[in-house]
Amino acid sequence: MNYQDRKTDKDLKAGAARCPAISTQDIIAQDKVQAPGWVRSESYEYLGSEDIDTARYIDPAFAKEEYDRLWTRTWQFACREENIPGVGDYYVYDLGSYSFIVTRVSKDEVKAYYNACLHRGTKLRASGTDGTASEFKCSFHGWSWNVDGSNKSVTCPWDFPHVNRDEYKLPEARVALLGGFVFINMDPDAPSLEDYIGPEALAHIKAWKLEDRYVALHVGRRFQCNWKLNIEAFQEAYHVIQTHPQVAPSNGDANSQYDTYGEHVNRFISTLGVVSPHLYGKVSEQDVFDQFTLGDSSALGGGGKPQLKEGETAREAMAVMFRGMFEQAFNADLSKVSDSELLDCFSYTIFPNLFLFPGISLPMVYRFRPDPKDHRASIFEVLFLRPVPKDGKRPEPAEPIMLGDNQSFTEAEGMDPGFGAIMDQDTENLFLQQEGLEASAKHGLTLGDYQEIRVRHFEKAVDKYMAMPPKRPDWKRAQP
Amino acid sequence: MLEAAELPEAQKKAIEVSGKSVLICHAPQGWFAVSNICSHANEKLECGRMKHGIIVCPVHGARFKLETGEAMSAPASKPIETFELRIVDGWVEVRV
Repeated sequence: MNYQDRKTDKDLKAGAARCPAISTQDIIAQDKVQAPGWVRSESYEYLGSEDIDTARYIDPAFAKEEYDRLWTRTWQFACREENIPGVGDYYVYDLGSYSFIVTRVSKDEVKAYYNACLHRGTKLRASGTDGTASEFKCSFHGWSWNVDGSNKSVTCPWDFPHVNRDEYKLPEARVALLGGFVFINMDPDAPSLEDYIGPEALAHIKAWKLEDRYVALHVGRRFQCNWKLNIEAFQEAYHVIQTHPQVAPSNGDANSQYDTYGEHVNRFISTLGVVSPHLYGKVSEQDVFDQFTLGDSSALGGGGKPQLKEGETAREAMAVMFRGMFEQAFNADLSKVSDSELLDCFSYTIFPNLFLFPGISLPMVYRFRPDPKDHRASIFEVLFLRPVPKDGKRPEPAEPIMLGDNQSFTEAEGMDPGFGAIMDQDTENLFLQQEGLEASAKHGLTLGDYQEIRVRHFEKAVDKYMAMPPKRPDWKRAQP
Repeated sequence: MLEAAELPEAQKKAIEVSGKSVLICHAPQGWFAVSNICSHANEKLECGRMKHGIIVCPVHGARFKLETGEAMSAPASKPIETFELRIVDGWVEVRV
């Protein structure tokens, strides 16, 4: 291992210290198939070292205010375009007490309607459902809307001379499409999704072509912790050595790279096929090769892992092996994909609640939502995105599997057992953290300047929105 | 009742059997015969989306499992009737 003592001097500027080990960029630079520019760049900014006030995680009043200040102003992942491929297909997206019917109104246009009848407020479609409609008819009194949102009928119109049907179109949230994802935003005054993400991160996302993937597995579970604690557990690799010791022999955890982009996007790159700096000198290259974890190990087939050749590194062997097996398993052309994209864990947060992992071996999307009835609980979903097969025939997106509160991720049909075990380890920490914050005499989180920069960056965005006045949706302004 | 070849996978067809409107469904999960009438408001299910072994009422969005008829979401709470189905010599037969 190319070990070098890097930047541990106490005289360094705040935030400049790095793990005394080979850097992520130096690991990737040694790969045979070189990585693209979005991988080979760094964008760290020191954002301070002050504690983060813990009231935001434990105070129900804070959670209530989030609904009116934060969630009503931010871009959120509602569904994948593949969930609504045809005109009239719809998908109900819920966030707290808010609910939207996301529907395709033409080949290239998607709308998101507030999911409530304009008569007496009944939901036009039940939460958690999807389907196809030629109209959205209220099940209570039968008022009805066309798929394009215009009012189709008012039952007994003679009794509603005061209702101008042209003014009773279904109110809309804003919609933006990117990478096969449908985003919505309740704020008519919010910046565009492109401006919200910013040019650099937007270029990364566009380069991944996630529109050419499909949802192969979708699993959700309720976590016993505030939604922000849930998110922040996945924003650093600092916890790997303690929480996931089985992963550390094959994961560059402490020398992972952390970046921030504007106000709403941050990421880490955590290399795989290299040993953790915590374990230097304790494990061999063969150990690294034997212990790597895949998000989807079905691609391995029934065969075991072979022995490394003389002088071959685990990372080199894994790159060759992954390229072949993923091409075969997914019937996809990966010849131009770099070793790093095949192997490494790229985790991007798009504020407030979306994680994208554009890699091949760990091809996940995470979504986090608050539990509307309990500020101490949150709803976590993981979606695995596989490349669409070479023949271009897109498989149906997987039906979501919602686990019970006490179920293991390993119980979800199709879930890789190794990955499921990692998710369970994270789950077990989180309720202890929620309870610990409530029990603590210390009312602030103390964060590492580098490895926990994503947590600080995320909470800065929370602070920004929570400093704004409440902004509730206005149905008149939300009409087209 | 119906030639199996007339109904490719992912297709469905409503037929009248002994005075009942029955929906024959050829889903990727198999063949199913269920009532074509939604248990919520008696609307016809034949134009609803069929996916993942579920039929969705196109009018109010109630969802039913094709295998058991179980109501899976509001506004329906009662199941729809299901019927025994078999394929004999290329013909779909339903016991009503």
